Amino acid sequence: MKVWDTSHLHDNVPSQRQDTAGQVYDSADTQANLQQIRLHFKQLQTRLILGLVLGFLLPNALLSAYFHFQFTHTLKESAKLNLAAVAESQKNTIDLYLQERVVNLYNLFQSKEFSLNPTQEQMENLLARLKRFNDGFVDIGLFDDKGVQFAYAGPFSSLLGMDYHKEPWYHDLLTEDKNYFISDVYRGFRNIPHFTIAIKQVFDNRTYVMRAALDPDKFYIFLRSISQGKEEDSTLINRQGMYQVIDPAGRNQLPGITDHIPPSVPLSGVEELELGEQKMLMAYTWLKEHHWALLAMQPVSVAQGAMIKARVVLTASLIIISLLISTVIYFTIKKLVGRARHMAEKGQMLQEMLAHASKLAAIGELAAGVAHEINNPLAIIMATSGVIRDMLNPEFELDHSPEAIDKELSVIDAAADRAKGITRKLQDMGKSRVPSVVECDVNALLDEVVGRLKKVEFKSKQVEVVNNLVLDLPHIFAEPEPLRQVFANILINACDAIADKGTINISTESKEEMIWVTITDTGKGIPPEDLQRIFNPFFTTKGGGRSTGLGLSIAASIVKYLGGTIKVNSILGTGSSFTVLLPINEQAQKTLKQHDK
Amino acid sequence: MNTLRVLIVDDEDDLRETIVKRLNARKIQTEGAASGINALEILKDKDFDVIVLDVKMPGMDGIETLQHIKKLKPEIEVIMLTGHASLEFGLKGMQLGAFDYVMKPAPLNELLDTIGQAYNKKSGLTL
Repeated sequence: MKVWDTSHLHDNVPSQRQDTAGQVYDSADTQANLQQIRLHFKQLQTRLILGLVLGFLLPNALLSAYFHFQFTHTLKESAKLNLAAVAESQKNTIDLYLQERVVNLYNLFQSKEFSLNPTQEQMENLLARLKRFNDGFVDIGLFDDKGVQFAYAGPFSSLLGMDYHKEPWYHDLLTEDKNYFISDVYRGFRNIPHFTIAIKQVFDNRTYVMRAALDPDKFYIFLRSISQGKEEDSTLINRQGMYQVIDPAGRNQLPGITDHIPPSVPLSGVEELELGEQKMLMAYTWLKEHHWALLAMQPVSVAQGAMIKARVVLTASLIIISLLISTVIYFTIKKLVGRARHMAEKGQMLQEMLAHASKLAAIGELAAGVAHEINNPLAIIMATSGVIRDMLNPEFELDHSPEAIDKELSVIDAAADRAKGITRKLQDMGKSRVPSVVECDVNALLDEVVGRLKKVEFKSKQVEVVNNLVLDLPHIFAEPEPLRQVFANILINACDAIADKGTINISTESKEEMIWVTITDTGKGIPPEDLQRIFNPFFTTKGGGRSTGLGLSIAASIVKYLGGTIKVNSILGTGSSFTVLLPINEQAQKTLKQHDK
Repeated sequence: MNTLRVLIVDDEDDLRETIVKRLNARKIQTEGAASGINALEILKDKDFDVIVLDVKMPGMDGIETLQHIKKLKPEIEVIMLTGHASLEFGLKGMQLGAFDYVMKPAPLNELLDTIGQAYNKKSGLTL
């Protein structure tokens, strides 16, 4: 069994119905189609660009952020470690410096110029020796077991003979186990900031003390010289937080007190603190030789300068790379989409040209069909008028009675009528109808048509019409006359297919938003090769001028106009079944109303 | 010389009968056949000099009928009668051995001329 329907005709017949689905291009409106294509590609372009940019840049940014934080953390730690290392190395240097000074002093006890009863010259020599070791030494003095300075060399000669036994450093040196003592910076009898290194030695059960004062300025310069690192600032404080080195600019003043006294345990560490507006990184470490702490300070901005620089580079390069990639994506996509759009537009234009060409071909075919169908009656008319002329010519000895001539004239009339019928039907098919839409009861229409056909067309044969109509069939909005024509054309074909005796079954039902009208006959059936041509104009299997071949073509165009289709099943020798599908309402109503405008 | 015998094959009754009538009036021995099959049946019993064959007929069309005729009696000249506005069928018929084609509607004189030419050709062959 072969199924064929009229939907393949939809491309050839001019149509007002292609606006139902957005995807269907109406070949009639080139500009709208091109605009639709452009819109489509513009959306595609935007989506592609956004998708690619987001898809690429988002992971990129996340990864960058992760590395950035990781990097920041590492660099912060390394800045602290760096500062702590600087502080540690400075502490070691200072420890070494102080130890060296102590050793310098001890060496004097061992020198040959040392005596417990030195002359002023010997004292001057000792001082000169000390100054050779280090120019920080200011003076030198010797104390007996009573604490009286009995020998002295240096700029403050008034100190000679002074009793020191109440001075804190002298007291500490004698009471502590250590053989040497290093004092904090203090003014003392001379009233000038200095610090002293004192050592004790026992001769003949009497404890002698040798003491040297050191210039804090020189110590400051030494501290400066061992400073390392950018904008790194080192200083020394005692347990009370008093600075033990002073800038030479603040001469003759005891150093100030700092608020930041580092904890004594652990022995070293790094802290972050705010000094005025500036955030500082402070490393501290306690000296071995003395109760002093070395503070190394560095502004956070400097300590983390490398990190900040790296962050700037990272951020800048991320932005530049993102912009670069976005630009590349943008232009690449734009170019690609533009090319695709160009192709699509070209394709659309070709499609339209093709549609146009196929319309032209259809028109050519139609014209050829029309010519053929009109030529046949014309040939009859010409031939018959020739016969009449022959009759009137005595040479041919034909019957030229008025009755005979009248008979020929009626042949001419019949042929002329045929030609007229063809042109009328063509007009029906081609002209745009003025719709007079009413509510139609398909069942009633079918009854009407069958009743009319029974009077004439069905009379010659024994045709039994069986109705299988659904009672509550929904009404549809349509023009009744074209619908009658559709049913009549199919019913006439059904009747023609039946040789002399047969059945025509008419059934209606409503499903899938459509009305299904099925007309089945027990006729000869349609050969498969004809099945795809039965809706073509002028296709007919009925010879002898009985048919124009327009019936089904007209029916198909009417049904299509109403938004429906015609399906055909046929088995050769058994019969054919035509099903007309008509949309139930809103759609038909809408279509027709649109047409009204 | 024998009488010219012509067979008109066309499914249009009015046209066929009229032509038959007019040719007979002109002393041409003419018969009509309503279809290709009908024509082939007639040909089994009778001989003709010229056959005028309509191209478009239900059932067996003119082209097919022509092929059968040429198989059955190749000496008969066939003139194709075409109503189609194109030369296609006429030319196709000539490729298959038809003598000529005449476009419908044609004045009788033209048809008579062509029949005469076809007959002359056939006589020339048989002589």
